[in-house]
Amino acid sequence: MEHWFTDIAQALVNWLMGLGLSAGWADFVLLIVQWLCIVMIVTINVIILIWLERKVSGFIQLRLGPNRLGPYGAFQTIADAIKLLTKEDIIPSRTDKWIFMTAPLFFIVVSVMLYAVIPMGDGMQVVDFNVGLLYFISIGSLSTICLLMAGWGSNNKWSMLGAMRAVAQMISYEIPLAISLLGVVMIAGSLRLSDIVVAQGNIWFVLLQPIAFITYFIAATAELNRGPFDMPEAEQELTAGAYTEYTGMRWALFFLAEYTNLVAVSALCATMFFGGWQGPGLPSWLWIIIKTYLIMLVFMWMKWTFPRIRMDHLMSFSWKILLPVSLANLVLTGFGLEFFKWMGWW
Amino acid sequence: MYGKGLLKGLWITFKHSFEKKDLVVRYPEQMPHLQERFRGSLAFDFEKCIACGICIRNCPNNVLSMETAKDEDSKKKKLMQYTIDLQYCMFCNLCVEDCPTNSLYFTHDFELSQFHRDDIKRVYHRPPELDQQEAAQKTSDQDTQTAADDKKEKQLRAMINAINKNPQKVLARVLDGEEQVEVLAAVLMADEKKLARMAEMMITDKEKAKKVALAFVKKELKEREKGGDQ
Repeated sequence: MEHWFTDIAQALVNWLMGLGLSAGWADFVLLIVQWLCIVMIVTINVIILIWLERKVSGFIQLRLGPNRLGPYGAFQTIADAIKLLTKEDIIPSRTDKWIFMTAPLFFIVVSVMLYAVIPMGDGMQVVDFNVGLLYFISIGSLSTICLLMAGWGSNNKWSMLGAMRAVAQMISYEIPLAISLLGVVMIAGSLRLSDIVVAQGNIWFVLLQPIAFITYFIAATAELNRGPFDMPEAEQELTAGAYTEYTGMRWALFFLAEYTNLVAVSALCATMFFGGWQGPGLPSWLWIIIKTYLIMLVFMWMKWTFPRIRMDHLMSFSWKILLPVSLANLVLTGFGLEFFKWMGWW
Repeated sequence: MYGKGLLKGLWITFKHSFEKKDLVVRYPEQMPHLQERFRGSLAFDFEKCIACGICIRNCPNNVLSMETAKDEDSKKKKLMQYTIDLQYCMFCNLCVEDCPTNSLYFTHDFELSQFHRDDIKRVYHRPPELDQQEAAQKTSDQDTQTAADDKKEKQLRAMINAINKNPQKVLARVLDGEEQVEVLAAVLMADEKKLARMAEMMITDKEKAKKVALAFVKKELKEREKGGDQ
């Protein structure tokens, strides 16, 4: 069970080479297959996640959540997806058409690109990049541009306000996010995500870097535009922020991308702090799924517990609390590492 | 300690998510408990309506409309059709409040959605039973009338026959004295019109009949005297 997926990939490459393809071309075909798999994983995950989110929110609010279609309402998301697919695609006449139309596409592409470096099991990585973490953070911050495109293209003041909030928020939280992850990188001594996973063979980094974990978690929530940091959407204030003018499948793509980001960020959290795919008994790909889902449940739990924070509080929290704390953690980690080396414990 | 409130909140929601979810009404299987004065869909009782139009004048959204016709016989306004276009209704209760016969009322039916816009509109046509009932009423009235007439005529004929057959005995009811009765009989036999009048009066008004009979007799006796003189 452990090597199911790697075996399948190897068999595919062998079969292609047997057909007379060169090793390079075989790898290229494998890459395409892997991307398709990622898109499939993303779609299935989003379908499960939306159901889970509604169920969790229902349970927290003493409701039942969806319970009509299928067992425990499991097919509700599928029905919703079909509804969204068949809806009319409305493009308001005075929008900036190209920007308006391409924003959701860019958003989903950027979100899916995050999965390239996430180790989804032992040796199950599309690209084992030597600066994987850097890649993840930089690609992750690209989604800001997509939101700005959506807001600007909509030619609607609320959309623009939402987009501007999103940009301000995401750029502000990008910094503590990156800095909090640096502590882990210092201990692991590598930006390669598979190295970081292997470095947690003895002890999870969440125990060595608890402050980094908490700052990462808060900053990631803000990065994801999830409650209590869902300022860019803020239904009560901005209708739906940058998504106001979007309908049907374009809107669904934004939704899809948001949940895709959620899975990616949770998977990164599992990788960086909870030992990634390592775990006893079960196969590695199952472990990362379990860990990712537990982290996502905590994200949902937080979203449905806390009320939305005010915009100025949000910004001052980032710059005045989160950034100094993560910087202090970085300094502390540096001193600690030197101390350990000096004592000869490392 | 900072963050204590956050943890408390998280603990509360955590506890809630494992509680029994019996606050919700599982609607299609389980109907919600509605209060007595709940305003569901608007309903109309055609038979009670007197077509006064107060509801239509009261309606702020022009939900209600009706068609009336003038009844040929009674010259009254007659309701032909009543329309409730429920899609515009805001359930303000103004029509129900002022209906003098309570023919408009709110029901507890709140499942108002329809697939087509036209289905929301409720058109009440004049039920054919109502017309039939009215017609039946009218004919029965007429029947009783004619029946009464028939009865009268029969009685009259019977009376005339009786007088013809046995004048002394029958006419003794109006007049005393055999002489007078004989005179009256003679008069009546001579004139059919007088006979009919007499018979009718004897049925309807005996006092009048007595007076008239007396008058007849006196007149006859006078004429006879005159004739005797001549």
